[in-house]
Amino acid sequence: MSVRARPTSPHLQIYRWTITMAMSILHRATGIANYAGMALLAAWLFAAAWGQEPLNAVNGIYGSWFGQVVLFGFSWSLVHHMCGGLRHWVWDFAAMMEPGQREAMAWATIIASVVITLLIWTVFVWVA
Amino acid sequence: MRETIITRDMVANPKTHYGDAKASTRHFVTQRVTGLVNVVFLGFLLFIVVRLAGQDRADMVAVIGNPIVGIIFSVLIAVVAVHMRNGMRDTLEDYFSGRMYRLVMLLNTLFCLIVGFVAIGSVLKIVFWG
Repeated sequence: MSVRARPTSPHLQIYRWTITMAMSILHRATGIANYAGMALLAAWLFAAAWGQEPLNAVNGIYGSWFGQVVLFGFSWSLVHHMCGGLRHWVWDFAAMMEPGQREAMAWATIIASVVITLLIWTVFVWVA
Repeated sequence: MRETIITRDMVANPKTHYGDAKASTRHFVTQRVTGLVNVVFLGFLLFIVVRLAGQDRADMVAVIGNPIVGIIFSVLIAVVAVHMRNGMRDTLEDYFSGRMYRLVMLLNTLFCLIVGFVAIGSVLKIVFWG
């Protein structure tokens, strides 16, 4: 299969930022972050399968302040990518594509992802 | 494998059928379906992480070792790995072409296979051997 070089656009330097453009870029960025982040899950499960000592080591790293910051970012990235994916499902039915509607959905994506992530951490980590 | 030279006329002419219609549609549908299944995966992940974060091995074996939890989780991880490879392919197609594309796509496949097999292997080890 031949894949030819695709045209790239100078969108970051040239065009005025719009919320739909920002959400499109964030969808790709969070997808890549989730791609890398899955290795963290695999490492945790692998340590648990291996033994108590490796699990302690992984728990120590993930429980440190730096680990918690990374896991917080990873959780937001997962939630944001999920919201963005659901938005694509809506679009696949040719709905919410008109001007105004698509901007509203883009704002809803970012607001929902931040609110859901903060709710998860508040309910299950900070308060629990 | 020799690269076909794709001219501007070939791309513009609808009769050349530039691109693989079946593979592209399958890619699109796979990504949407696995994406929807991943919503269930996230629910599972939330349950497992909230229940087990920072816990000892015995607790993890007690929860993940339950075959219903462990086997469903394994299947969901496999679906995630397919979604990861498919999604990264979209990105790679945008920025690489020709031999370089094939190389990065190979690395992509390897990464998804390794992450998938390590995670699924670990879960099944916990399910079947504790």
